Amino acid sequence: MRSTRFWVLAVAGLLAASLLAAVLVYTSSPGGTVAEIVLDGEVIRTIDLETAQAETFVVQGESGTNTVQVEPGRIRVQCADCPDQVCVHQGWISDGTVPIVCLPNRLVIRITGGSHPGLDGVAG
Amino acid sequence: MIFLRTKEVLPVEVRRLTRMALLTAIALAIFVAEAQLPAPVPIYGVKLGLANIVTVWAVFLLGPADAAMILLARVVLGCLATGQMMALLFSLGGGALCLLVSIPLSRVLTRKQMWVCSVAGAVAHNIGQILVAVAVTRTPELVVYLPVLLVSGIITGLFTGLCAQLLAGRLEFLLRLK
Repeated sequence: MRSTRFWVLAVAGLLAASLLAAVLVYTSSPGGTVAEIVLDGEVIRTIDLETAQAETFVVQGESGTNTVQVEPGRIRVQCADCPDQVCVHQGWISDGTVPIVCLPNRLVIRITGGSHPGLDGVAG
Repeated sequence: MIFLRTKEVLPVEVRRLTRMALLTAIALAIFVAEAQLPAPVPIYGVKLGLANIVTVWAVFLLGPADAAMILLARVVLGCLATGQMMALLFSLGGGALCLLVSIPLSRVLTRKQMWVCSVAGAVAHNIGQILVAVAVTRTPELVVYLPVLLVSGIITGLFTGLCAQLLAGRLEFLLRLK
């Protein structure tokens, strides 16, 4: 039996470490302008956001569809027929910090620097 | 709770089944009610997890087998009730890892340290969720969500754990059904 003091310190330490990691993830902005549309683990389309024209297209996933909207420099999921709408609420992304994910449709939109995945330094 | 006052002695297995069914129903009601709340943060997997008050309580006071069965029944029925079959996969992965951590931990903790078990369970649940998400989407980059999930998991785990701890002394009658 450890003392409660030990557990308080352990949990506080874990919380501090997670907070630090979360802050690092969100403040680091890995470069990159190439958006990759990944469906079920396969890259189905890449768009260079610097030279992109405004457009909207529909991605057909396993259990539904996501409407992806592209504007110069940024990309978002405009609407989706999944139940939770997490991907839609995430809004526009314009750098490699956090990818857009629609888990029900297994769709991931990530921004990389092209051949170098932008998040490896953070995630790896 | 008239049935609690009956003088008839029910077979042990019937008592156990009744108690598990009652706790599953309570957990399911909490789970479905919580699912009606809008997501606080636009990140998949961030939620209060109030139904885990029942899980933590069961791990401590009923033992591993009963707790696992209550959790399994709640997760399957809960995902059926809310229509999020995708969430079933994540909840099963997270739930399994959560039990794997909280059951051994509950043996070395006192009743006044139930919150530790809840926090550790929440953290294990988050890690399980991310592992399932990485496997399903085959996108290892999803690991970047882990720190955010952990922060929310530690805070909500602390809350549900303290709730379970406060309830522990007040639900003794459920144990008398033994």
